[in-house]
Amino acid sequence: MTNEAMLQIARNAVSLAKQKGAAEVAAVARVKRDVDVTWRDGKLEKITEATSRGLEVRLYVDGRYSTCSTSDLRPEGLASFLDNAIGLTRTLAKDPHRSLPDPALYAKATPEGLSMADPKIESITALDLRRTAQSMEEAARSVKGSEAILSVTTNGYHSWNETTQVHSNGLEASFAGTEFSISADVSIKDDDGRRPEEGEYAWVRLYADLPDAAAVGRRATERALARRGAKKAPSSVMPVLIDNRAAGRFLSYLLRPLTGAALQQKRSFFEGLVGKPFGSDKLDFADDPLLPKGLGTRPFDGEGLAARRMPLFEKGVLKNHYIDTYYGKKLSMAPTTGGSTNIAWKLGPKTQAALALDVKEGLLITSFLGGNSNDATGDFSLGVQGFVIRGGKIGEPIAEMNVSGRHVDVWKRLIAVGNDPFAYGASRTPTLVFDGMQVAGT
Amino acid sequence: MNRRQFIEMGASSIAAASAGGFLLGCAGQALEKPTTAAVVPSADAPRVSYFSRFGVDEGMIRDGLADALSRGADHADLFFQHRVSNGLQLEDGEVNRAYTRVELGVGVRVVRGDQTGYAYTEELTREAIKRAAQTAAAVADGPARPGPTALAVGAALPQRYTLDVPWDGIKPAQKLPILDGVNAAIFKMDGRIKKVSVFFADEAGAILIADSQGRLVEDFQPMTLLYVSCVAEQGGRKETNGYNVAGRRGFDFYSPETIGRVVREAVARTTVLFDAVPAPAGEMPVVLAAGSSGILLHEAIGHGMEADFNRKGTSIYADKIGKPIAQPFVNIVDDAAQPHARGAINVDDEGNPAGTTTLVDKGVLATYMHDSISAKHYGLKPTGNGRRQSYQHPPMPRMRATYMLPGPHEHDEIVASVKRGIYCQSFSNGQVQIGAGDFTFYVKNGFLIEDGKLTRPIKDVNIIGNGPRVLERIDMVGKDLVIDEGGWTCGKDVQSVPVSQGIPTVRVSSITVGGQGGTQGNKASAKG
Repeated sequence: MTNEAMLQIARNAVSLAKQKGAAEVAAVARVKRDVDVTWRDGKLEKITEATSRGLEVRLYVDGRYSTCSTSDLRPEGLASFLDNAIGLTRTLAKDPHRSLPDPALYAKATPEGLSMADPKIESITALDLRRTAQSMEEAARSVKGSEAILSVTTNGYHSWNETTQVHSNGLEASFAGTEFSISADVSIKDDDGRRPEEGEYAWVRLYADLPDAAAVGRRATERALARRGAKKAPSSVMPVLIDNRAAGRFLSYLLRPLTGAALQQKRSFFEGLVGKPFGSDKLDFADDPLLPKGLGTRPFDGEGLAARRMPLFEKGVLKNHYIDTYYGKKLSMAPTTGGSTNIAWKLGPKTQAALALDVKEGLLITSFLGGNSNDATGDFSLGVQGFVIRGGKIGEPIAEMNVSGRHVDVWKRLIAVGNDPFAYGASRTPTLVFDGMQVAGT
Repeated sequence: MNRRQFIEMGASSIAAASAGGFLLGCAGQALEKPTTAAVVPSADAPRVSYFSRFGVDEGMIRDGLADALSRGADHADLFFQHRVSNGLQLEDGEVNRAYTRVELGVGVRVVRGDQTGYAYTEELTREAIKRAAQTAAAVADGPARPGPTALAVGAALPQRYTLDVPWDGIKPAQKLPILDGVNAAIFKMDGRIKKVSVFFADEAGAILIADSQGRLVEDFQPMTLLYVSCVAEQGGRKETNGYNVAGRRGFDFYSPETIGRVVREAVARTTVLFDAVPAPAGEMPVVLAAGSSGILLHEAIGHGMEADFNRKGTSIYADKIGKPIAQPFVNIVDDAAQPHARGAINVDDEGNPAGTTTLVDKGVLATYMHDSISAKHYGLKPTGNGRRQSYQHPPMPRMRATYMLPGPHEHDEIVASVKRGIYCQSFSNGQVQIGAGDFTFYVKNGFLIEDGKLTRPIKDVNIIGNGPRVLERIDMVGKDLVIDEGGWTCGKDVQSVPVSQGIPTVRVSSITVGGQGGTQGNKASAKG
């Protein structure tokens, strides 16, 4: 379905909803084409290829609000769909804080140079993905020690998606994006009957930025072999490094309570902390939706607000929240944007290896397993695996352990960040170093 | 967001709902069937309800299956789905937003050995189905096979969630008092409550499965969920918690008794936290309360017993069938037949019969959970565990309602047997690594156990263990099995499906507790 057709569908939804009694309307039409190829142990495992489309309509009717979505885009279906949705909206309580955004905040034109969509995607077929996945497996099995491998699963994936947004108070905008991903997962036999699995992946906007597939395959096996003989270590308070690939998960618990909804609903440990020191001076980053090639890059947000860079922490001081139009009105705060995009860190000067040398004794976390964080109180408790740091070097693997603490304490103990932002996620986290965290094991 | 295997389970949340994670639907009057005005029927006269619902007929389905088999293959199926869902949300005292969602589409699957080709379309036209079928067929590379010459609806399905009034017959105005009532009752019950959020969802779904053996299967799948969350303040301290109930139930489920329980539990689970002390850190005995503690089974053994991981050799249970892995009083099942449970199904998403699968029989590992691919691989009958999130996804082995059968011990005896440990009552989420066997679950409410008694409340603590080792350490099992009524959702390989879980009171002799309260420093041991 072309961009023009989707624009027409969104326009039609807006005018039809207005005819049927909506005072204001926003319509978002989305198209996504995915190709996903999984290869396992010498043969094709699964191939999925499809184009999906959907329409979301936000209705403002007699001072009331609802949102509805459908995958049935036939014109004759849309009319009864909107009738129902408007009928439903009229049964709700009035809400004086609901309105479309101020049109002055809308995106005027898509900024140049975002590099979000790669036309090369048209020429890459499922067969290409299959060949890439096959070569990753061959590389994974070429690594010394590969006789311990039980199974190798590799995957090639790409998607093209387009968002078209029309608002009744003067927005018509759209953008397209592409994503390419390759990954390898390797299971190995451990001496004690465990079958640890590790993997490597890459995830990029532009095809040319994908790393060498063979290197990804080899790295997956190396990571898996390094997990052999993982043990639980004693419980204690110790310095902790969080690997750049894993740190995005830890960061998400810091970002979640920064929304207007969390703040207004008293579910945020950041209540009343804007302009106040929260973390150490190493906690320093901005939200940057305009970063070229960023996985979170977008010219405008879900409400159509023009994207702009927003500082979040400067030298440990909280500068902003993620405020959308609705909660902005409830809180009497100006809207910023509803949710996080790319995180641009003020990086440190050192590599992870150099940071480990500084720490001498501690724990390197390479992945989290379950756990959670309480947005209202800031308590967290998270399963971890990784490696002991001994004499400044990466030592033996650990498993079945846990870290816990309170965000209000822990981020004050952030003593260093690495020079290594993780390229394959929107959080772009460097290695994080905390000088003391409660670790539970034996 | 990395695209690697990801296995997690959690209680449905409003956040997920507003992001479209929970399925929400369309409005007021009777459920609109997708219109079929634009469909040109085949020569066959429509015989059953799927023609009017999906605008397809037997001829179109047979053609689709023939296209799916155009390059050979062992099996092909079409999965039609129409799902209409509604959500209402109360915040700051008003039901002032609604979410609705309509899903309509068909997925085409082509299977060759254990290889799968998949495609789907939201356009239910002859041409679009043909394109999807040809795309999925690319997994095979042989000569065409004929599709079925006729399609037949098989024996009547069991009816595990028949409703007096389906959700499409309930008007929004009838639902609003549920949310308003819960909100008013909570504020009335405790002055420390400062914020209440109530989320109500209902779903009316229909599926139609047609396969290359000529089977036709139709099912209607209702769902509802009531999720309450509150924030309370006392002496400058803030605490938040909630309660939720869910199931394949109708409007009559929301009796004064159900509403009363939701209100009481939400308030009690929140306000008890003002007395909470930090949980300890380290290995110790843990007692799991009957009910939602079944999350332990879901993570410690359930995922590892899904046959796809075992067929690939990546599960820690891959070489343990027929071997003793727990005490003889440990029996664990995965059950499709719990009436009105969130995890109940009348038939699985491949059209196979779904009953009760015994995972652990008297301590011995008995059966994996199979879809048709793994069943064929092992030369067994499918167990009815082939499930999928929607028409956009191929099926794979998934759990339904996973629980442990009652055992020989008394609840009080189990608690009294622990000198120093913790007692876990409510949970938010869990996760597992199926190869290493390490798993976690996150405790929202619990108590310290000191000298055989429940003493101070604890909260927000993750428990981490290793599946097979923890099963060995289940050394007491109560008689008091409870199947939890909460809105659990299981995620695997980016697909979410509704599930249930249950367990009697259970003691695990030693497991790592991820608290903030410093280390235990000693190996507290269980008595008895």
